[in-house]
Parts: sequence; structure tokens; C-alpha cells
Amino acid sequence: MANVSALVDRSTAVGAKPALTAVKLSMGLGGLALVLLMLLGLCMRLAQGGLLSMEPELFYEIMTAHGAGMVGIAALTGAGIMWFFLARHVQLTAAVYWLMLCCFLLGVALVLGAIFVGRFAGAWTFLYPLPAHSGGVWETGAAAVFLAGLLSIGTAFLLFYLETGRAIIARYGNLSQALAWPLLLRGSQDDAPPPAVVASAAVIVFNGIGIVVGAAVLAISLINLYAPSFTIDPLLAKNMIYFFGHVFINATIYMAVIAVYEIIPEYTGRPWKTSRTFAAAWSAIMLMVLAVYPHHLLQDTVMPGWALAIGQVVSYAAGLPVIVVTAFSLLVYLTRSGMRWDLASALLVTGVFGWTAGVMPAIVDAVIVVNRVMHNTLWVPGHFHFYLLIGEMAMAFGFMAWLTRADVPEGLPGASYWGFLAYLIGGTGVAVTFLIGGAMSVPRRWAVHVPEWFMQDRAAAFFALISIIGTIVLLGRYLARLAAAAKA
Amino acid sequence: MQVSVLVVSLVLMIAVAAAFWRAVLHSAADEAQPRPSGHVEGYRTGLFWALVVLGAVAAVATLRPWPYDASASEGAIVVTATGSQWSWEIAPQQVPVGRPVVFKVTSNDVNHGFGVYDPDGVMLFQTQAMPGYVNQVRYTFAKPGKYRVLCMEYCGLVHHDMIEEIEVR
Repeated sequence: MANVSALVDRSTAVGAKPALTAVKLSMGLGGLALVLLMLLGLCMRLAQGGLLSMEPELFYEIMTAHGAGMVGIAALTGAGIMWFFLARHVQLTAAVYWLMLCCFLLGVALVLGAIFVGRFAGAWTFLYPLPAHSGGVWETGAAAVFLAGLLSIGTAFLLFYLETGRAIIARYGNLSQALAWPLLLRGSQDDAPPPAVVASAAVIVFNGIGIVVGAAVLAISLINLYAPSFTIDPLLAKNMIYFFGHVFINATIYMAVIAVYEIIPEYTGRPWKTSRTFAAAWSAIMLMVLAVYPHHLLQDTVMPGWALAIGQVVSYAAGLPVIVVTAFSLLVYLTRSGMRWDLASALLVTGVFGWTAGVMPAIVDAVIVVNRVMHNTLWVPGHFHFYLLIGEMAMAFGFMAWLTRADVPEGLPGASYWGFLAYLIGGTGVAVTFLIGGAMSVPRRWAVHVPEWFMQDRAAAFFALISIIGTIVLLGRYLARLAAAAKA
Repeated sequence: MQVSVLVVSLVLMIAVAAAFWRAVLHSAADEAQPRPSGHVEGYRTGLFWALVVLGAVAAVATLRPWPYDASASEGAIVVTATGSQWSWEIAPQQVPVGRPVVFKVTSNDVNHGFGVYDPDGVMLFQTQAMPGYVNQVRYTFAKPGKYRVLCMEYCGLVHHDMIEEIEVR
């Protein structure tokens, strides 16, 4: 095996690297949890395809765990990437990351306990007033523990954003400097922040808002469990929940892409710069991620018409920065660069592909007349499985591969090559079979399918198995190299 | 519509894949052309405005007429549908073919989804069934037959079996 011990020294040599151990631990935990949750997902598709006997009660518990868990993993790995690279530019306090991790893991324990001990199966979206109306399936306490678990996870990330925001402001003076607004508005800026800082600043703003709104509706839902007369308008609750959920899951990929901005230049020799276009794109995203959430409410006709129109129009507009700025710039940087391909660079480039391609079915589904026949079908998980498996998690695995790269170029040898291919093909197959299911009008979140739907369920299970194998290979390489570096 | 949507999406995704693959294939260093063309920013600007124009056309084409007009026109039949864990109360359950039907949908407890499927299992339309609110959607059935209502919003243990029929004559 190539000498991997030097990489640890090298990765800490550049600037301050507080909580490097915690970041490496986060990525490892994320990878391990991913494998387990993918196995749950495989079980779900097998059950839907009539190949695995599973009581609906268990199916919906697994579905709840799978959803909550995957969102948590995406957030944790994205945050690990953001912290690692932000530390190159600002002074971060390691203890806060550890505190974040502890709060996160506490939340995970509560969520899992609520589901597998308390039988809570309200889906990760906890859509009010479902947690309080189980139909006799779960007790109030189980719902309370689940909501408390999500609150703990939300608190974890709020601490993360408060610390990273503090550090950025301490370095750059204020958020407008960090977002490169002087460059955007006046064409020049002394000490213009690097892309990692611009991206981090934008995410801190929009996800901070998203988490606060999420915490509010979680708290309201929690109180409602024990004081049923304490209610919230269900439409307002739905708006808050989907605002929080949309913003939070989007933030995961907007954090993870920082790995692309920071690592790809090492391979191409072309620095990723904060240009006016880049600054404009991130400021636009900061606003559009917040404004676009009504695309989750297009079938609530009681919503104000202007909000639903915004949901459609801004969904399209929000795709422009990723297509015209991030993806376009990446392809320009790659072209005739003498790019050195290895597992890290292959995964990072795949991640941007996954994000860009995954946005397409989302934009299409956000067209209201399309949404009328595609909403809440398997089309929806089709979009986000592509976006997260081939997008965010590919970026996360790319970062992990880079963290454990050898100190000599190693290309894509044997197991790495086949692991990468299995991950890409398997993940694409999982997502595309969902899209096909959506086109077949198969509803999402159904424990029991009719035989006419079995073929796409079974095809999905096959691809899920391939993607799990790929994931195990990628994760195994990461853990083995960490272990080797620790021994050296 | 669903098949068209799938084809369009897959074509777009394949186009993205092709662009990435092309860049990967051309990633080797070229001493004759060590840098990308100086026209790169021009291409980016062109792509941006092309997508803006495309988006504007698509927005106008799909938002006019306003897709939420569910007002009860003359001769329309009104059907009320109420979802509860885990069944639908629909009245009337028989509607005429060729006449506008306005569905007024609500819930007694949690959020449900009112999805109407044709006899071939293709979804025709849907709306949310919310406690405390009445969502409306208007549809004209073109063919007689037995149509099914499936629950489209996860609502608990029997979500997958919350099915009812509407007969169109």
C-alpha cells in the first residue's frame, strides 16, 4: 500500500486544522451509517417488490429511520467538509465541533430509540399533526423523543453555524465582506474571500434561518403532544416544515461542494477564484434557496397563488447557478488541464455531475402542471436520490479519498476503480428506477405495492445492492488508510 | 404526460453526462492550447441568457392559463371528499363523463393526498387533503369507467390501503 502516513501530516500542515480528528471521525461515521441505511433502503425496495415479507408497521419505521438518517448523514458529512476547508482561512474553535458532534449523536440516539423502541413512524418530515395522531401505532412519548432528537440535531448544527459565522466575521469584518459584495457591487475588493468562505457565509445565513424555523415548528409539535389545545394552523405548520426541510437538505450539498472548490485546483493547477460571477451566484442562491420552498406545496391550492408561482419559477432559476457557474466552471477548469485522475478527483467531478443532472427532474417536477401528476410519486425520491447519492455523497467520498490519498500519484487502481464504478452505476440505477416508478404513477411511501409495480421495485433492489457494494469498497479504503496512518 | 416528462428529464440528464464526459476526455494537457479559449466567459453568458429565455417561455406557457382555476363553471358537478385515518368519504361517488367536476377535498385528522387514477393506473390529478382547509381541483373525465382514489400523503399505518373508487358514467 502506498505510504499514507505522510498525508496526515500534510493535511495539518496548511493553516490551522482544529478538530481534524473530529472531521475524520464524522466522515467515517457518516460512511458507516450510510451503509446501514442503504441496507434499510434495500429492504424497503425488496418489500415493495414482493421479495421480502415485512409488516407495514416495520416498513414505515424503517422508512422513517432511513429518511431521518440520510438527511443527518448528508448534513454531517457536508459540515465536516465545510469545517475542514474553512479552517484554512479562519480561526475555528475545535471544541465547538466536538460539541456539535455530541449533540448530533445524542439526537441520533433519541431518533433511533423513538423509532425502534417506541415504534414511531411519522416519517422524517413529522408533518403536523401526524406525530400526535398515530392511529394507535405509537405512544405520545415516542413521538416526543423523536421530535426532541431532531431538536438536538438542529441545535448541533446551529452551534456549528454560529461558530463558523463568528469566525468568518472575526476574519472578514462582516457578512457582506465574506459574501464578496464589494467585489460584486464595485468590481473589486481588498482581501476578497476565497470560494470556501463565500459559500460558507451563504450557507450560514440560509441554513441558520432554516434551522430556527425548524426548531420552532418542532417545539410547537412537541408541546402539542402533551397539550392538545396548544395548536398551530396546519397550513402554517406545513409551510414551516417544508421550509426547514428544503433548506436543510439543500445546505448539505452547498457545503459539500466546497470540497470541489478547494481540491480540484490541486489536480488541474487552475485556482478556483471568487469572481463577480461566483459572488453573484452564491448571493442569488442564498436568497433562492429560501424562496423556492413552495415547490413542496404545489398541491395545496389554498396557498396564495403568488407563492405557488414563485415555487415554480424560482425552482427553475435556482438551477442556473449550479449549471452556469459551478458545473460550467468545473468543465472549463478540467479541459486541457493535464488533470490527474484518481479516486478523489473522479468522485468530486462525479459529485458535480450528480448535482447538475439531479436538478433536472426536480426542475421538471416543479412545473405546476407536471407536479399535479408527479407529486408524491416515486419521482420525488428519484430526484433526491440522484442529487444526494451521486451528488452530495460522491463529494463526501471524494473528500474522504483525498484525505487518505497517497503521497505519490496512484491513479485508480483495482478495487478503487471497481468500487467507484459500482457506486456510480448502482446509485444511478437506484435513482433512475425511482424516476421510472414516478412515471408509472407509483405513489411514494407505500409499504405495499401492487404486482404491476414490482418490476421497477426489483430492478431498484438490484441496483441498490450494487451501490451498497461500491459504498463498502469506498468506505473500506478510507477506514483502512486511516488505520494505516494511525499505526505509522 | 408522465412518459414525456420522463423522456425529457432523461434526455437532459444524458446531455449533462455528455458534457461532463467530453470534458473528461479532453482533460489531458495540450501544449498547443494550454489554456481554455478566451471566449469562455462569452459562452457562459450566452448559456445563461439562453436558459433565461427558455425559462421565461416555459413559465408563460405553463402558467397561462393559471393552472389552479377550480371555479365551478356552469353545469359543474361538485364532489366533496374527506380523508380520515384511513378511509375516504366521497359524495357523490358517481359523476358524469364530459362534464366538469369540482372536487372539494379536506381531512378530519392529518394530511392526506387525494390522487385520482384512471382504470389503467395512470394518475390524472391530485390535491392535498388538509385538516381545517378545503383544497379544490377541477377535472373533466373524458371516458367512463371505474377510477380509483389513492392516498398520496403519508398518513400512518394504513396509508397504502386508503383507496376508494369513483365511477364515471
